[in-house]
Amino acid sequence: MSIKIIKPGILATIQDLGRTKFRSLGIGPGGVMDFFAASVANYIAGNSEDVPVIEMHFPAAEILFEEDTIISICGADFDARIYDLPVEMYKPVIIQKNMALSFKANFSGARVYLAIHGGMQAEKWLNSYSTNLKVNAGGHNGMPLHKEDIIEIQPQTQEVNNKYFFIEPSSISSVYNNPHSIRCVEGPEWEMLSEDGKQHFSKNEFTITSQSDRMGYRLAGKNISLKNSLSLVSSPVSFGTVQLLPNEQLIVLMADHQTTGGYPRIANVITADLPKLAQLPINTKLKFELVSLQEAEDALITMQHSLAAIKTTCKKLYGIN
Amino acid sequence: MLLSFGNIIDITVNEKILALHQKINTTPFPGFIESVPAYTSLAVFYDTVLIRQSYSNTSSAFDFVKDFIINISKEKSTISGNIEKDIITIPVYYNGEDLEYVASVHQLTIEEVINLHTGTTYHVYMTGFFPGFAYMGTVNEKIVTPRKDKPRLNVAAGSVGIAGEQTGIYPFDSPGGWQIIGTTPLKIFDKAKHNPCLLKAGHKVQFTMIDKNDFEKLNEH
Repeated sequence: MSIKIIKPGILATIQDLGRTKFRSLGIGPGGVMDFFAASVANYIAGNSEDVPVIEMHFPAAEILFEEDTIISICGADFDARIYDLPVEMYKPVIIQKNMALSFKANFSGARVYLAIHGGMQAEKWLNSYSTNLKVNAGGHNGMPLHKEDIIEIQPQTQEVNNKYFFIEPSSISSVYNNPHSIRCVEGPEWEMLSEDGKQHFSKNEFTITSQSDRMGYRLAGKNISLKNSLSLVSSPVSFGTVQLLPNEQLIVLMADHQTTGGYPRIANVITADLPKLAQLPINTKLKFELVSLQEAEDALITMQHSLAAIKTTCKKLYGIN
Repeated sequence: MLLSFGNIIDITVNEKILALHQKINTTPFPGFIESVPAYTSLAVFYDTVLIRQSYSNTSSAFDFVKDFIINISKEKSTISGNIEKDIITIPVYYNGEDLEYVASVHQLTIEEVINLHTGTTYHVYMTGFFPGFAYMGTVNEKIVTPRKDKPRLNVAAGSVGIAGEQTGIYPFDSPGGWQIIGTTPLKIFDKAKHNPCLLKAGHKVQFTMIDKNDFEKLNEH
């Protein structure tokens, strides 16, 4: 049983929650940009959170379903439709045999996730199904999805009655609250900033330029200066690391970041705000809000509680223990 | 979490980091994901939620991990004899586009540059930036050459270069600013292999000169 890509859209890849334990070899974890939306999409489709999903940008893919299939769509609102009929997000949906799913308008957000009940066939590379575009491994032959691609999926043996399916809306909306305010902690090189630099970082808005993608967001805004010019040896970075480039502008490393870098790491976006950051489109603005490490941890614990509650609700729906 | 030991390329500092990296990986704490060594720092990735859940009297996963690492760093641990101590020999056909430049800027002959490059056993400080890209050092001071002012748009996979005190091999075709002095027929990154990266932090590397014929015989690209 399979799905077929009628149109691939601008960048559709198979991703899961990323590839761990290989960073020290220079192989970055990759994976979904928005782990919250991807995890919830999986739960709603009756999967565990780490099952591979299709991550799409706008213009998004058009996908044909060969048989009746249970899916869910979470993340950005790209006006999902089956021909002209709107498809509800954040709900289990049955796409009927020979129907095509498409996305008609860019209403909000930047990445949408399609989860399919039972997952999809993909290449596993170093313990993960995430697509590594640098190496061309993992996912669908290590490549973005193309027209005519066929992806095998599981026979749909499950029935689901989504009539009474309910997730507390605030458990989703609270994650994306204040979308332009991105919490971060001070980075290892924070103290190398001049006083003006620190002020500019905390008080100003930055624009996500068009040179932004899965590897990183290049920001444009007020120049941020260091106390002294310096040259650093390469050291580890992560998803959310905010680096200061020699031109005094910022870059925020995203899912496909390289594992090490030589630019000052002045801040790190907190894990709980990575989903929000991942959903900010190009040409929107953001502001950084410095928080303590404790607040960062507590925010992540709260988010995890939401995810656990959603998982439980979904398991009941599918009659899974 | 990042442990930082300064901003230098120093083999003693790096070996301490590699020892700690190995120790944490051999006897990890619950919630440990992985660690990433660099020249003078070690990043430790951990699962905050799992740690907070597993240790209910901990209000901060960060503090828990910090205490754990401080304790194990006090234990005597050294890089034990294993793969990381092996000397890896890398054959190089010294025909790089920047070989003449490196020679002339140091007022040496090309032969002298080659002898100086092959005459040192290098230490792999870390792999990063690209899958399988090994940062090696330190290059003999007579051939230490800074990066090019204008990076090339394309450097071929297998290219062997110098940047300052470091030497390295490009695992992929990519833009690059290192001074290219030669090329190796070996594939230093192969996604199909169980161990896709030939070089790892802690390895010792020796370059040897080969001629064009041998290069063609050995070519894995």
